[in-house]
Amino acid sequence: MIAAFISALLLSLLCGLMYNAWKYEVERIEAEEGGWHSRIPGTFSAEDRETIESFANVDKVVIHKQGDRGTEEAADIYFRSKKAVFSDTPHIAGQLGIPQERIVYNYELLAMYLIRDSGDTAPRLVLPLFVLITLAASFSLIIIIHNAFAVSMNAKIRQLGILSSIGAAPRQIRTCLLQEAAALCTLPVLAGNMLGIAGCAGLMRLTNVWLGSVVSGRHKTTFGYHPLVLMLTILATVITIGISAWLPARRLSRITPLEAIRGTGEWQLVRRRKPGMLSRLFGIEGELAGNALKAQKKALRTASLSFLFSFLAFALMQCFVCLSQISTRETYFERYQNVWDIMTTVKDTDADRFAETAAVRELDGVESAIVYQKAFAKRLLREEELSEEMQSFGGLAGAPADYVVQTDGGWLVNAPIVIMDDQSFLAYCEQIGIAPRLDGAVLFNQIRDVTNPDFRHPVFMPYLKGRTADERGDTAGESLADSGEDAVSVLQKSAGEETAYARIGVEIPVLAYTREVPALREEYATIDYYELVHFMPISLWKKIKGQIGGTEEDSYLCVRAKDGVTQEKLNAVQEEIARLLEKNYVIEQENRIRKYETNNRQIQGMTALFSGFCILLAIIGIGNVFSNTLGFVRQRQREFARYMSIGMTPRELRKMFRIEAMVLACRPVLLSLPVVAAAVGLMLRASYMEAGVFLAEAPFVPVSLFVLAILASVAAAYGLAWRKIRRIELAVVLKRIV
Amino acid sequence: MKILKCEGVKKVYGSGSNQVTALDGIDLSVDKGEFVAILGASGSGKSTLLHILGSVDKPTDGRVIIDGTALSTLNQTQAAIFRRRKVGLVYQFYNLIPTLTARKNIVMPLALDQKKPNQAYFDQIADVLGIADKLDALPHQLSGGEQQRVAIARSLIYRPALLLADEPTGNLDQKNAKVVVDMLKLSNRNLEQTILLITHDEKVAMEAERVITLEDGHIVSDERRR
Repeated sequence: MIAAFISALLLSLLCGLMYNAWKYEVERIEAEEGGWHSRIPGTFSAEDRETIESFANVDKVVIHKQGDRGTEEAADIYFRSKKAVFSDTPHIAGQLGIPQERIVYNYELLAMYLIRDSGDTAPRLVLPLFVLITLAASFSLIIIIHNAFAVSMNAKIRQLGILSSIGAAPRQIRTCLLQEAAALCTLPVLAGNMLGIAGCAGLMRLTNVWLGSVVSGRHKTTFGYHPLVLMLTILATVITIGISAWLPARRLSRITPLEAIRGTGEWQLVRRRKPGMLSRLFGIEGELAGNALKAQKKALRTASLSFLFSFLAFALMQCFVCLSQISTRETYFERYQNVWDIMTTVKDTDADRFAETAAVRELDGVESAIVYQKAFAKRLLREEELSEEMQSFGGLAGAPADYVVQTDGGWLVNAPIVIMDDQSFLAYCEQIGIAPRLDGAVLFNQIRDVTNPDFRHPVFMPYLKGRTADERGDTAGESLADSGEDAVSVLQKSAGEETAYARIGVEIPVLAYTREVPALREEYATIDYYELVHFMPISLWKKIKGQIGGTEEDSYLCVRAKDGVTQEKLNAVQEEIARLLEKNYVIEQENRIRKYETNNRQIQGMTALFSGFCILLAIIGIGNVFSNTLGFVRQRQREFARYMSIGMTPRELRKMFRIEAMVLACRPVLLSLPVVAAAVGLMLRASYMEAGVFLAEAPFVPVSLFVLAILASVAAAYGLAWRKIRRIELAVVLKRIV
Repeated sequence: MKILKCEGVKKVYGSGSNQVTALDGIDLSVDKGEFVAILGASGSGKSTLLHILGSVDKPTDGRVIIDGTALSTLNQTQAAIFRRRKVGLVYQFYNLIPTLTARKNIVMPLALDQKKPNQAYFDQIADVLGIADKLDALPHQLSGGEQQRVAIARSLIYRPALLLADEPTGNLDQKNAKVVVDMLKLSNRNLEQTILLITHDEKVAMEAERVITLEDGHIVSDERRR
């Protein structure tokens, strides 16, 4: 009954938390990104809408304005069957005459339904890992129910023998056992499920209280429990109990009355065991301990499995968290440590309309402030423009068609534009060693070696033939325009309904080719390796924006605080900026130190949650060990009496007992270690992280503590049992052996 | 040479009105190489006597000396080591370790001392007892007679001063009972093993060269047959 109750409670709690975590993520993404599945930018007529709606899998279409002050439209498509998103959307775009590369997918949302596409290169491992851990934990709980029944049924074997001897048919015995199981478990299962749901709701509330105060702008958790989850949980519990009761009932109903009545519960081995490691290491005591464990295999299955699963889940989770922490720190916090302190997103505002840059720079504690906006254009590249290194790699011929389109005139590549405020652009010119000018763009002349997939240690090479100031040996700080080199970049409009790209674009003077980027919290060419990034000043953008357009809706203000800034000072600067801007703009802010701490806190929260589950699993195992060791005192006394009668000393018995406890606790750990090592190896390989980097921060301490806690608990269980067993009265016990 | 000497051995269970005297002043001595049967009905105290002689239990009063060792001076560990080296115990229900093979069961007393058996002696015992082809079987894979022969082999492996057998034929059919008694006689004769056999079966007792009859905790007769 207790096992059924605890298992139903944990199963319900686990499934409820899993469901709510998933629900929270879906709601958060829908609130931040929208609930659409795919988005097609363009201009849409009523007929176009009908065309989209005519697709069987399309649930609804929402057409809305977007882009520069809402001059462009986008159709947000919601699918009935989300699996059809990646197959149907290109067809829809094709029928509307819109290029496929303009389709935007809500990858984050779709990933929550485990729908992935090769175009989405982000790992998105959290949900699959969570599902895996939940399944492992659920499986373990199911096994626990099963074993609890097997043990309780076996305990009734003598009673069943008596029943059988007075004429109960096997079928009647089966029915009796199943009815007993149903009667015993109905209430515990229902109560366990209800309490699990209540526990889940309580945890949700706690999460809101705990995280609500530390994570600003956090989407609030709302508790929910889908009837399907409840039904699945109850069904899983009932089926498990049914099978768990049926299997031993069937076995017990088949044994003869004599076997049942005489059944002494003596441990037997079905087959001869070859002396193993324990025998070699610890002699006869090791062999006896190994045999005893082998004979108790069924009784200790719950413990073994729960130790195995809990350690495996705990170690894997710790390694995963450690790896992802290192990765986030290296690729985000450390990488951008000297780039930003406060990021402000100025909603629905073009950078050229933002007028508070100077005021922000004058704020106390501000070292620098860069205002910038991103825009998207296309650039036609001729084969001869490519660098020798690029050409030796086959140029753009191998580039995916999603990003690079071959035309008669050359290769059409994406050309993201970073529009910087003039003062920051002039400073950038100085940074890269050219004379500061505002009449041209600086091209980021670097492309990643696509044949090397190691994103942590990428190899770069020049994209175009244009040389950097250093490569030209320019010490006078001349720009390309000054030195008279052919330096023009022709940008074409990216957005719009065009299908032919070979139209005339806007000529922009190239001031320099560089492999140095301005100090912005931006990443370039991470998904589309072939994009050619242009940095240009706002004053130049003002002249060409009418022909190119394609800006993002928001602008950004990247502020660096003075060196050695404290959290308090940074918070004060952030508040000052907010006070200055909130009068005229809608803004969102991020603070590097706070974000780092929030990130750590979230990881700690997640780790605590998963650790809680692992500890729960381990507790189930420990409970099984205690119930087994305290329950087998009489049986072990008989066994030990045998050993003592042929000359085994109490010290040797204790040694055997200790070996048994040690093996019980350590075996799951030893079995798990290769799996953990292999999984960590795979994770390291996938994240291109050196083993040394991981090992320097590997979670040896928490994992060791977890193992020690299991060891200590098992030792305590065996210690208690030993105290009872050692009070053996040899002559009395030997008389009982029949 | 006296291998066993009991002087005024008394065993009382319980206290007050529940007090039961299982043995009441037993005086007994056995010479090396003797085959002695202790005959008695159920409740006569014969098993209690065997447990005291095997250092499994302690007398309430009196002295027991086996091969020069006074059993009352032994603590729990010394008693266990004494059982391992000086006496071989054979029980009615064999008392084999169910998780070990016959071979491992036989060598267990030696293994506890981290000793290996003398292979020639081991083979001799296995051959004499007719279990050479059963050595790799687990106890539950053997018949009752075979299990008892394995138990006898185990009790002999350390060449003990005294072999104590408690109703060794009590759980066997007539044919197997005869085989087991023959084996005991054979080991007594061939290995010069001192044997003290406890039984309620007169026919089995008559196979011994000396029969001691026990009644209500007293020796009522001590008869040498040969």
